Amino acid sequence: MISDYDLVQVTLLSLYVSGVATIIGSAIGIPLGALIGLKEFGGKGLVKTVTFTLYGFPPVLSGLAVFYLFSHSGPLGFLDILFTPTAMIVAETLLVIPLVTGITITSVVEVDRSIKDTVKALGASSRQSVLTVMREAWVGLIMACMIGFGRVIAEVGAAYMVGGNIDGKTRVLTTAIMLETRMGDFEWAMALGVVLLAVAFSVYLFLRLLQEKELL
Amino acid sequence: MKLDMKWIAVVVVVILLVTATGAYLLLKGEEKQSLLLATTTSTQDSGLLDYILPYFEDEFVCEVDVIAVGSGTAIEYGKRGDVDVLLTHSPAAETAFIAGGYGEFKKKVMYNNFVIVGPTDDPAGTSDSTNASQAFLRIYENGTAGNVMFASRADNSGTYTKELSLWAKAGLNASTFSNDWYEETGLGMGDLLDFCEEKLDDNEYTLSDDATYYQRVEQGTIPDLNITYSGDPLLFNQYSVMPVNSTMHPHVNHTLAVGFADWLVEQETQELIASYERYGHRLFFPNADGYVSPSSLVVGYVGIQTLEPSQATATQLKETLIVENARALVRCCE
Amino acid sequence: MSSAFRVMGVTKRYKDVTAVKEVFLDGNSGEILGILGPSGAGKSTLLRLIDLLESPDEGSVEIAGKKVTLHGGEACAVRRRIGMVLQKPVVFNRSVWNNLAYGLRLRGWDEDKIRKRVDEELEKLGLGDRKGKNARTLSGGEMQRLCFARSTIFEPDTLLLDEFAANLDPANVSMIENMVKEYAEQDRSRCVAIVTHNLFQARRLCDRVALMWNGEMVEVAERHKFFENPDDDRTASFVKGELVY
Repeated sequence: MISDYDLVQVTLLSLYVSGVATIIGSAIGIPLGALIGLKEFGGKGLVKTVTFTLYGFPPVLSGLAVFYLFSHSGPLGFLDILFTPTAMIVAETLLVIPLVTGITITSVVEVDRSIKDTVKALGASSRQSVLTVMREAWVGLIMACMIGFGRVIAEVGAAYMVGGNIDGKTRVLTTAIMLETRMGDFEWAMALGVVLLAVAFSVYLFLRLLQEKELL
Repeated sequence: MKLDMKWIAVVVVVILLVTATGAYLLLKGEEKQSLLLATTTSTQDSGLLDYILPYFEDEFVCEVDVIAVGSGTAIEYGKRGDVDVLLTHSPAAETAFIAGGYGEFKKKVMYNNFVIVGPTDDPAGTSDSTNASQAFLRIYENGTAGNVMFASRADNSGTYTKELSLWAKAGLNASTFSNDWYEETGLGMGDLLDFCEEKLDDNEYTLSDDATYYQRVEQGTIPDLNITYSGDPLLFNQYSVMPVNSTMHPHVNHTLAVGFADWLVEQETQELIASYERYGHRLFFPNADGYVSPSSLVVGYVGIQTLEPSQATATQLKETLIVENARALVRCCE
Repeated sequence: MSSAFRVMGVTKRYKDVTAVKEVFLDGNSGEILGILGPSGAGKSTLLRLIDLLESPDEGSVEIAGKKVTLHGGEACAVRRRIGMVLQKPVVFNRSVWNNLAYGLRLRGWDEDKIRKRVDEELEKLGLGDRKGKNARTLSGGEMQRLCFARSTIFEPDTLLLDEFAANLDPANVSMIENMVKEYAEQDRSRCVAIVTHNLFQARRLCDRVALMWNGEMVEVAERHKFFENPDDDRTASFVKGELVY
C-alpha cells in the first residue's frame, strides 16, 4: 500500500535518478552528436545507423548489463554500488546517450547549409563552427534532452534490475507502480502513474521555457 | 559566443538542486549498518517482513534492506554475493546452494500453505481428493478431456517447483502437457490469480500460496475463484534462511547475516511470526528446530515433573523449559 | 596595385557536372571586379573556391601572393581576411547586435572594442533602434544590409559578394550598391569581387568585368572594353542580352 512507504521520497528519488541520468547523458550525447553530425569521417553512415538503432535498446537489457558489471562477482563489484541509486543512474544514462546523440545529429545536420557556409566564411575555426551550429540548433538540442528524460523517467526494467526496489533506498515511481500492480492495488498504481506524469509535466514545462527563450 | 548569463545561472541552479536532492537522499540513510536481504516477492507482499523486521532493526541497531525478486533470482544474488542473506522457500534449490558452498548454513524458519485454486463449482472435483497429488491427477484427467485448464507460473519460483513435484508425485511429467489445457504463463502469483479470473470460462485452476490468494480476495479481484483443495502436508511451503558464505564473499555483512538467521529461529521471533495475521487469517507457521509452540510448552511443563534428574537430556530440557515456561505461562494466562 | 587573389587553372567537378573548367582569374587591390554570366555558369562555385569553402580538383588558389589550400592549417586564417556574403542572406537566430558582433568575437576582439564598433555600425545601418531584436524579424532589405555589414565590420582585405542584391527592390539595391562603393573607396588596398547576372549593375559598379559561361572563363576586360568592344563573340552576345542560358 502506498501509505507504507514515503511517496515524497519515492518521487524525489525518481527525479534525482532520472534527472542526473539525463544531465550526464546529455552532457555526453550533445557534443558527441554535434561532432558526428558535423564532421566527416570514415564509417559515418554506420555510426549514425547504430546510434539510431540503439533508440530501441531495451531498458531491461541495460539493467542486466549494468548488473553484471557491478555485481560482486563482476569486474566492478568492488565499487559496491549495486542496489544503490548510483547503479540506477549508470543504467539510465546508458539509455539516454544514444537518444540524445541521435536527435542532436539530426538537429545539427538540418541546420541550413547556408548558415554553415556563412559561419565558415566569417572566419570561424572548426571548434567555433561546431559551437555556432549547435547554438542555431538549440531547439532541437533541448528536444533531445526532453526525449532522453522521458525515456528514463518512465522506464522500470533497468531501475528494478540494478536497484532492487528497496523501500527507502532504491524505490522509484515506476518500480513502486510495478509493486502496487503485482499486489493488485490497481488504484494506487494508477495514482502513482498520475504523480509520475505530473513530475514529467513540470520538468517539460521548464524545458519548454528554455527552448522558447531565444538566445538572443 | 556569449550565452545569456541568466540562463546559465538557471541551469547551474537546477544542477545544484538535483545534486543536493541526491546527496540528501543518499546521506540520510548512511548512519546505521545495513543488512541486505533477498527474499521472494510473495514473502514481501504478505507483509510479514514489515511486521517482524522492526524488532530486528531495533535490537541490532541496523537497517534491513529487502530486495524482493523471484526465488531463482534471489538464489542467484546469493551465489554472486550481491546480498548478505537469503530467505527463500525452494528446498531443492536451497540444498544445492549449500552443497555448492555458497551459504554458511541453512535453517528452517517457517512454512505456509499452498492451496489449489479454481472455479467455485470445482468442475475437476478436486475437493474430495485424498491428497494434493490426486487432486492434480484429477485436474490432469479433466484437462486432457477438455473440461478444465491449468495455469502455471512456469518460472523459477518456489510455487512452480512445488507444482512440478506434485505432478511428479502423481506419476506425470509436466513437460509433456499440451498447451491446449496447460498454460505456461511466466506471470507472478497475483497476476496469475487475476489471469484465472479473467479466463473463468476455461475453468482455470492453479496452485497458489495462501497469502497471495487471501490478498487477492481482499482486493476483490477474484470473486469467482475459491480454494478447492488444501490442508495436505504435501502442500506445505517450507521457508529457510541462509547467510551467504563470507569466505567466498568477504565483503558481505557476516555478523549481521548470521545474527539475522539466528534471530529468526529464536523462540521469541518464532512466536512473533505465529502471531502475524492478515486478511483475517494466520499465514505463517513457525517450525524452526527447537521451536516449541506455547501450547506444547504447557504440556511439557506438566511432563517435566516426572522426568528422572539423571537423564542428561532431561536436565538440558529442564533448564531451557524452566526459563521458557515462565514466559509461556505468563503469555498463556494473559 | 597588388594581387588580392588569384586562381590558376582551377577545375571543380561535382559528380558528372564540371562546374568550373580551368579558370584563370586575378583580383587586384583597389578594384571592383565583376563576374558576370548566366545561371549555372559556375560563378558561385568560383567564389567558394577563392574563399576556401571548397577545394579545386585541379589548379591552385593564391591569396595575397601566397598559395593556399583548404586542407592546410592556414585555411581559417585566410578566411578571416576575406569577407564573403552569400546569395541567400542568412542571419543567425540572435539579436541584430549579436549578429554584427559575431565576426569580431570570432577574432577575439576585446568586448569594449566590440561594443564601440558594433554600435557605430548599427547607427550607419540605421538599425540602432532594433539592436536587441531577433535579426530574423528584419525585412529582406534590412537583412541583406545586415549581412553585408556583418561581413565588412572586421574590415577584410578582400570582399566577395555573390548576387548580393538579387531579390531586393530598387531602393534597397541602391542602398547596398552605395555601401559597396563606399567600402571600396575607403581603402584603396581592398579588392571587391561581385558575382552578378545583372549587366547594368556590373556597368555601374565595376572597374573590370569577367564573363563566365558553362564553367569556362570567356573573357576578362576593362569595363569599357567589355561592354563596347569585347574580343569574344559570346561576350558580345551576352552584352546584347542574348546568351542567357
